[in-house]
Amino acid sequence: MSYYDIDAILTDAQKVPCTFEITIPGLGYLEGNSNTDIKQGTRVELPLWLAEMLGVSQRLGTEQNVVTLDLPPALAPRVQNALKANPCTVDLRSLASHYYSLGERILGLLEEDELVDILSETFKKRAAEIADHAHNPQGVISSGGEFLKGLDENERQLFKISHESAKAIRAFLSDRSNTKK
Amino acid sequence: MNNNNHSANGPLTPAEVAFLCEAQSITIIPRQRLDGLDLIGGYIPPFHPPQRTAIPLWLALLLKRQRRCNIVPPPWLSAPNIERILKIETENQNFFCPDLPYRWLETAELLLEACPDDLGGDDGELRVLLRGLREVRQGKVREGLGKLEATYLQMNNLGLLEITEVRGFAKGVVDGLRKIGASIEVELVLGWMMMMMIFR
Repeated sequence: MSYYDIDAILTDAQKVPCTFEITIPGLGYLEGNSNTDIKQGTRVELPLWLAEMLGVSQRLGTEQNVVTLDLPPALAPRVQNALKANPCTVDLRSLASHYYSLGERILGLLEEDELVDILSETFKKRAAEIADHAHNPQGVISSGGEFLKGLDENERQLFKISHESAKAIRAFLSDRSNTKK
Repeated sequence: MNNNNHSANGPLTPAEVAFLCEAQSITIIPRQRLDGLDLIGGYIPPFHPPQRTAIPLWLALLLKRQRRCNIVPPPWLSAPNIERILKIETENQNFFCPDLPYRWLETAELLLEACPDDLGGDDGELRVLLRGLREVRQGKVREGLGKLEATYLQMNNLGLLEITEVRGFAKGVVDGLRKIGASIEVELVLGWMMMMMIFR
């Protein structure tokens, strides 16, 4: 992910639940109580860029990791089961606007073997649905609209690309038959 | 075309694909004499009507529009041949017929537009057959896309225009799958290296 990429920046901004392992003076405002300390064991939702750095800080020189990361609610076992059952009906956008990017980052930080397969299968099946929708535009009104509204950012771009190329080919072919002499 | 939206299809729009296919060679029956032309792109042989000469497609289309020649359709572009290919395509769900040249769709479209009278008189039937062929192949392409994996996708004998149609989409899907599986790949490589060090 590049430094200036908007999608990368937005991915980083998504929140992850963390548990503090040590007591830190003065950071109480993260919990909402200013001017107190963060006690060991407190759970706070931190943005990914911060959580990642603190979660691997042991490698960078502190005694132990400042926080331990947990699975964000968007990737909870309940959601994983829903994705295993029927990937096309889950509303990914409401769980996380950059769902797959969040998944990638979490997979890099936590040990979650099954999650890789679940995410891959979900992506494949939803991509097939997206291709269908792109070729037969039904608009936002019918049942297709529900699915389209639930796409995360990656899928939305995929849909746009496939729709645009289908449109270009159609325009090209109909241009030809319209200019018959 | 004013709509040169490159982000969708990558480097090629359908109009550009059509332009590129005009470089191929085609036979014509000239109606007028012409001396040989020494162009940068190649040498155009002199025309001695009614002898047939082979020239690039772009020149053939230009001359045809000025009514200075008649185009001889390429051997694969005839109704019986297309019908035969259509039959092979419908009967075999798993592969694309290799008898179609790489640029069949764009060449056929250009020729149908420029010289319907030269194509053997049954150009209406030819149009219908070509449309049908395109739809059968498109259905197979879509089915193949459903089986995309992160490593590679193999679909033999697709035409250039058909590839351009799916290039943007396939690229996005393969990329996405690769990124999701990236963490596992790193683990596999590390595991491999450790095994090699332990069992050396």
